Amino acid sequence: MKGLGKILLVAALTVLAQGGIAASDLTGQSAPDFALKSATGENLRLSEYRGDVVMINFWATWCGPCRQEMPLLDDLYSRYQRVGFSLLGVNIDDDSRRAMQMVEELGVNFPVLFDEKKTVSKLYQVEAMPVTVIVDRAGTVRHVHHGYKPGYEEQYLTQIRALLRE
Amino acid sequence: MRRLVKGAVPGVLLMMAGLAANAQDLGSAATDASLANEAESRQEFRSLDEEVQSLKKEVLDLNRDLFLLEEELLFPANSQVAFFISMDIGEYFGLDSVNLKVDGKEVANYLYTQREVDALVRGGVHRLHMENLKVGEHELIAVFTGKGPHGRDYRRGATLRFNKGIGAKYVELEITDRISKQQPEFDIREWE
Repeated sequence: MKGLGKILLVAALTVLAQGGIAASDLTGQSAPDFALKSATGENLRLSEYRGDVVMINFWATWCGPCRQEMPLLDDLYSRYQRVGFSLLGVNIDDDSRRAMQMVEELGVNFPVLFDEKKTVSKLYQVEAMPVTVIVDRAGTVRHVHHGYKPGYEEQYLTQIRALLRE
Repeated sequence: MRRLVKGAVPGVLLMMAGLAANAQDLGSAATDASLANEAESRQEFRSLDEEVQSLKKEVLDLNRDLFLLEEELLFPANSQVAFFISMDIGEYFGLDSVNLKVDGKEVANYLYTQREVDALVRGGVHRLHMENLKVGEHELIAVFTGKGPHGRDYRRGATLRFNKGIGAKYVELEITDRISKQQPEFDIREWE
């Protein structure tokens, strides 16, 4: 009976793990296009960045790791912006004013967009916070990162540099 | 014995010369063969490349045909209604977004980027939405938001009741400047 329990547990874990993989199903597919209002009041559309390597970072004010990650992403942005790298920070808070406050506090320079209706986060199957999607120059999703742990920025750096070279 | 050796030397030399000549012949034959092989493989490579190119072209053609077929199937000509946006000058109105409702149901909500607005001002026409509608009367409500004169937030609606007959229908939402009033104007008109 114990053996059966173990088998069931393993099966459940496998299903869960597959669920996790399904969340990154976008990899290799064309990045879904979207347009959102930005913090500067301008509307920004992803397809207008075709030709650049684009990082889309989904974040929220209530997410601790996002606060930790954003200044590091901003460093990447200021370093590689002039060689064809763009970063779009998509905030998913219900109230964009809190997001604006946090952006000012952190002093980040990359464009921040507001997805108050959560339409874009649904398009990108955002189920964790933060989620970082890296899109290549041809508009294909190449990497999806769920969550943030110290050291992830090294992976981002390697992946961005490789895509910039393509 | 010496005489025998003397007699044999020219024979051996001749044989060696013959062997060398044979070896040379063989060598040149091998070079010819390798050249021929190389030319053949180059030819093969070229034909393979041509095949790949033609295959690529076929895929593109197929893709186009599929796209057209999909559009014809999804929006059959007799029930198709297309809505377009155009803009004239745009001095009194900076377009931000358009919300479209057909028979009370929201069908499109489009945010315009600066580049898209520039394209509209330069004479571009944007197909905002395509819909299948039954023959009969329908109501269209379009709400335009943006910056009005003196950079003030501006929101205006326009309504059109139109009759959908048999055959495709095209509706244009036009933003123009009324210079006498220094205000933007929003018109909806049906293409004949």
